Amino acid sequence: MIINTVILSWVTFIYFGSAIFYIFKMVTGKEFWGSLASIIAFIGLIVQTVGLILRWFESYKMGIGHAPLSNLYESLIFFSWTIVLLYLIIEWRIKSKNLGAFVMPFAFFSIAYASFSPNVNARIQPLIPALQSNWLISHVITCFFGYAALTIACGLGFMYLLKGLEKGEKPRLFFRLLPGREIVDELTYHSVVIGFIFLTLGIITGSVWAYSAWGSYWSWDPKETWSLITWLIYAAMLHSRFVHGWRGKRMAIMSIIGFASVLFTYFGVNYLPGLHSYF
Amino acid sequence: MKKPLFSFLSSLKLTIILLIIIAVASIVGTIIPQQYEGGEAFRHLSPSLVKVFNSLQLFDMYHSIWFIILMVLLSLNLIVCSLNRWKASWKLFSNVPSPDRKKPFENLPPESVIIIENNPNEVISGVENFLKRKYKKLRRKDADNATYFYGQKGAYSNFGVYIIHLSILIIITGAIIGSLLGFEAFVNIPEGESSNIVHLARQKGVKKLDFTVRCDKFNISFYDNGMPKEYRSNLSFLKDNTVILQGPLLVNHPITFNGIRFYQASYGPTPGGKAHISVRRENEQETTMTVKQKDSFFLKEKNTKVHIVKIETNFMSMGPAVLMHIQNPKGTVRVWVFKRIEQMKDRIPDLIKKVPTFNPGLYTPYYFKLNKIEPNYYTGLQLSHDPGVAIVAIGSLFVICGLFITFFSSHKRLWIRVSEQDGKTKISVGAMSNRDPVGLKREVEYLLRHFSSMG
Repeated sequence: MIINTVILSWVTFIYFGSAIFYIFKMVTGKEFWGSLASIIAFIGLIVQTVGLILRWFESYKMGIGHAPLSNLYESLIFFSWTIVLLYLIIEWRIKSKNLGAFVMPFAFFSIAYASFSPNVNARIQPLIPALQSNWLISHVITCFFGYAALTIACGLGFMYLLKGLEKGEKPRLFFRLLPGREIVDELTYHSVVIGFIFLTLGIITGSVWAYSAWGSYWSWDPKETWSLITWLIYAAMLHSRFVHGWRGKRMAIMSIIGFASVLFTYFGVNYLPGLHSYF
Repeated sequence: MKKPLFSFLSSLKLTIILLIIIAVASIVGTIIPQQYEGGEAFRHLSPSLVKVFNSLQLFDMYHSIWFIILMVLLSLNLIVCSLNRWKASWKLFSNVPSPDRKKPFENLPPESVIIIENNPNEVISGVENFLKRKYKKLRRKDADNATYFYGQKGAYSNFGVYIIHLSILIIITGAIIGSLLGFEAFVNIPEGESSNIVHLARQKGVKKLDFTVRCDKFNISFYDNGMPKEYRSNLSFLKDNTVILQGPLLVNHPITFNGIRFYQASYGPTPGGKAHISVRRENEQETTMTVKQKDSFFLKEKNTKVHIVKIETNFMSMGPAVLMHIQNPKGTVRVWVFKRIEQMKDRIPDLIKKVPTFNPGLYTPYYFKLNKIEPNYYTGLQLSHDPGVAIVAIGSLFVICGLFITFFSSHKRLWIRVSEQDGKTKISVGAMSNRDPVGLKREVEYLLRHFSSMG
């Protein structure tokens, strides 16, 4: 095994630890676990960044240099990287560590799937002609930052619904520690906005690329179609908020439905015939 | 009074129903293989089902009448809904409300009111100058023993959502223009040949170009691990038999000629190609030569002629082979010369006895060898002419601008009341915003901090 994949598989364990400690923090309410989880997540992010850079260098050493964004393995690794990066920024901004328990597991699953699934090839492969484009980097980066923001929105949606289970005058400590519903709702909205903008940019960069590679900026390829469906779901969500003032539970449910569509756009489409066969 | 059609088109129900139908249809469209693989799908379906699917245009759903109608309805819905709300937005943008409105000051939280020691007359001009610097078109009104100010910023943010809607309509317009005035086509051109006839996509027949495309050479190269590295077609574009443009066509690097973009889409072997063969007469020197299909040459006996009938890159899965007809006055002998004859003989020891025409030494005293076949390729070109692309591109740029205006700006409206209370000055700040309550709160805090420092 090459050094970068070894490093990246360590990161799987680091993120696992971080996710577990965030859950400890949520259940016990002790700040210690939260701080520990944050520090571990931050260390994981740095190690992962180093791993990604090494992988980039290695590909140049092999004479097939390209950014590590070109196959399922690399996209999964990058997905977890964007989730953790965005999450840590949000944590730093809102100064609350409760969300980690709902977000870090996604980062862990993504990198674990990349590192340990027999279906995912971790080797550095050269770029086939269709992928040899400057649009590769901008397309993948915008899409995955979008996916990451929408993942966080989904985590917030789960958090909101969990908070909704709170009953009685004196709810259990666990519920009281979760942030207030309005804050969660507002955060969900902001995450969806960020995700929606990046998703739009991802679709636009993708169609610019398709225009130079496939002969048409839009060919109703399953991945294109599903990204449009996802886009429409989030557009509907934002409209229902602006026009009809939907808040709270409905937003939480829509952020989860939207995320299911994101997942299908990312993975499910691989089982359908189409042009996006490399991801 | 609203007309029924108008209220139908402006209803949110219509939007939701349309979005659901489009989403479901798109899901169906990604499951049922679309035109490019229709043939594959036919085999798994019963003929009657195929008929139903065909009549609903399900194999080319995204270009079917009903899908286009859905898109048109959605556009109309978008237009009507936007128009419906436009009036209110325009009012918000252009109307400057009266500074002494009561409503903004109702139920003000205590932190939005400050008292400073000085008399109002001492601070009022400082307040006004500060607000003037901060807000263009500041309004002032003196009434009820108090001075009122109204200031606002970011009024343009009311238009963000219209920019997005308008640009989506621009994109749809561009797409319609492209599908009406443009075309997509493909053509396969063997190396060394040229063509000016292309096949239109979706079985719409053929089209004659007013120029000719020639494929001078097709080349494919591989990485060490066998993955394809580059597909390259050297193309020449000719008008009246003169070459106007020449260049290599690669994936991701289309060539535009006469408003038509050419893309490297596929490739494949064509029958024929060049064969490198050796001929040896018993006890004599071997001679090698390169032949093409339909070539012929004489053997040492001047009345014996060898015709190269077929050159196959992979004959009956047994690898490269050449079919020769060796003709002399007595008649014709057919011989298949295989490149891998030795391996074939190892695998099937009595091959030559069973199939005498596979014997490279059938025509005594000669022995033929096939060293190599250089296959001929055809290049598969995709052509597209789309006059709507620029419009779609402009629409996409505007979508991005609109998104940023909508989500990262807000229309902040602030009412400031300066009044006297027991010889001191009381300043209240009421505020409203169409979005971003956090930013609004920060704005109010900033104002109050500044005012209290004036005391």
